[in-house]
Amino acid sequence: MNMTVAAIFKKDWLGLLIVVLVSGLVIAAVKPAFLSPFNLYVLMVSTSYMLIIALAQMIIIAIGQMNLSVGAIGGLVAISFSGLMEVHQISVPVAVLSGLVIGIACGFLNGYITVKSGISAFIITLATLYIFKGINLGITEAEPFYNIPENVKNFGNAKIGNTPIPFLLIIPIIITILMWVFINRTETGRHMLAYGNSVQSAELMGISSSKVVITAHIISGFLAAIAGMLVVCRLQLGTPNIGDSWLLPSFAAPVIGGAILAGGKVDVIATALGVLIVAIISQALVIFKIDPFFVQIFLGVMILLAVFVNRYREYKQEVRRKIFSSE
Amino acid sequence: MNKKLPNFIFTNQFGLLFLVLIFIVIFSTVTDGFTSRFNIFALSRVIAIDIMIGLAMMVVILTGGLNLALGAIGVCAAMFGGWCMEVLGIPIVPALLLTLGMGSLLGLVNGIITVKTGVHSFIVTLATMSIYFGFMTMLTEAEAFRRLPDLFTDFGSAKLFNKYVSPLLLVSVATCFILFYLFRFTDIGRKLIAAGANPEAAEVSGISVSRMFIYCHALSGFLGALAAILLTTRIGAAIPSMAGQLGMDWLLPAFLAPVIGGTLLSGGKLSVFGTMLGAVLVTLLTNGLYLLDVGEFWIRFFLGIILLLAVLLDRAREYLTLKNVIVS
Repeated sequence: MNMTVAAIFKKDWLGLLIVVLVSGLVIAAVKPAFLSPFNLYVLMVSTSYMLIIALAQMIIIAIGQMNLSVGAIGGLVAISFSGLMEVHQISVPVAVLSGLVIGIACGFLNGYITVKSGISAFIITLATLYIFKGINLGITEAEPFYNIPENVKNFGNAKIGNTPIPFLLIIPIIITILMWVFINRTETGRHMLAYGNSVQSAELMGISSSKVVITAHIISGFLAAIAGMLVVCRLQLGTPNIGDSWLLPSFAAPVIGGAILAGGKVDVIATALGVLIVAIISQALVIFKIDPFFVQIFLGVMILLAVFVNRYREYKQEVRRKIFSSE
Repeated sequence: MNKKLPNFIFTNQFGLLFLVLIFIVIFSTVTDGFTSRFNIFALSRVIAIDIMIGLAMMVVILTGGLNLALGAIGVCAAMFGGWCMEVLGIPIVPALLLTLGMGSLLGLVNGIITVKTGVHSFIVTLATMSIYFGFMTMLTEAEAFRRLPDLFTDFGSAKLFNKYVSPLLLVSVATCFILFYLFRFTDIGRKLIAAGANPEAAEVSGISVSRMFIYCHALSGFLGALAAILLTTRIGAAIPSMAGQLGMDWLLPAFLAPVIGGTLLSGGKLSVFGTMLGAVLVTLLTNGLYLLDVGEFWIRFFLGIILLLAVLLDRAREYLTLKNVIVS
């Protein structure tokens, strides 16, 4: 018992959990409306797809790269998914499957070009961002698809029983658990972290760069695809601008969760808590009727703060290491 | 002779100039109106702005970093300038100086945070992009400044050289020459390049790398503000959405021009005239594709493909020159 308590105290995400609880309690104390079923529902809905968007970026941060095209993949999948159902009358499961295949293909393209060319993922995904977004706009001519099948719409609105818990939250929670298992308990996941830590030593250990990089990008594309389709369910329509605003939040949550952008250090639980912190505070700003543009400023400030805190922690670890090594 | 020729052909500027000429020939034969006076004038205005945006990103790429906040800085500076002229009634010249000062200041903040935290400039400028843009939207309430002094907006619609060329292009070309002089012939310019090429070696040889990096970010902000001023005179108003959501519409031209122009993303190597030719090439292509009726929506797709091809070609050229070196 004591052992587990001690183990929990050692976790990086403990501080974040405290931030989540304290901020939740403080806001609820000032504005009891914060805990109203409707508000909790809205909070959980926005958490649901942001969770997947954050994980889509996190897996790329894990290997020390970045993926600017997460939003563009999500948008392309969202309009393909809704377009297939509306224009081509394709059944929902097949449309979902096609969406996932498109996401995986986009991710594969990112990973393949990055690893084969040796060019930084930043510039490759900047290019593919415009390619995917261009295809999206070329197909839709900036017109949304409005006629989404009823069962898809219902899925986006449904709640579990009489609770305020949205159905939409189920898939993200399953995915978060799977991602935790993947990163912490599988060989490929471990290899990704090793690769993110040091490309050279990973290669010396016999880890295949192309396998690691391509797998990570495929997972990222796959998750972006799911997020895109969830947003369609939520909005009840497929608009071409889905994904346009994902860039900032996709980095905010992992960075707030302590991910180091140089790679090799990410934490699924901390990222999930990062999403929750962003969601709670954004929601609070709405409740307190603060200018919506302030949310943007706030997100930026949060990222900078997280960067400073991470930096400070690294510094303290370095100091501790120096003390030990001098003994 | 045989060995020299390929080397010359493989230089970036030559290749670019060649491509620019090819595309001019193609577009003027295939499309109607490419060589019309109106189109050339319109092109010269767009090229002027794209060159400036490209230069602004180039000076940060020199440090091995990047500046996602470039568009946000540009818009913030332009809105500040518009406010100075329209609301405060400050005369044009001091107002423009204030605008440039604002851009440099915002760039300076990026530089200081990047250097002090040691975090990659990507994440720092991602954060400041949203902070700058958020503050700008809040302060302006997303309203444009449309009543700018006539003299200022006339500059953007003025026509030179038998009405073919916009004076905006002269500003950009002059800036290219000044930057070329700065990086090639001045002490500080060489220090900036040395700091980007090999920070450790530069530090050992007595250059304050942090200070150089901060200068690069401030210069980027300055050039971003200059680009925004050109854009404002072209539109005739300072509009919060003139660079898109969070100013991110500038990102593609910002990276395309320097990358096509041979600036190394890992830092330490830049080409001012390469960036200029890169911007010319990209603008020509976009304009030609429009005239070919490719459709507004597919343009982004093609620009993405062009960026991809540019970096892949750059890679191939690097590989080929490396092979040449080994063979000889």
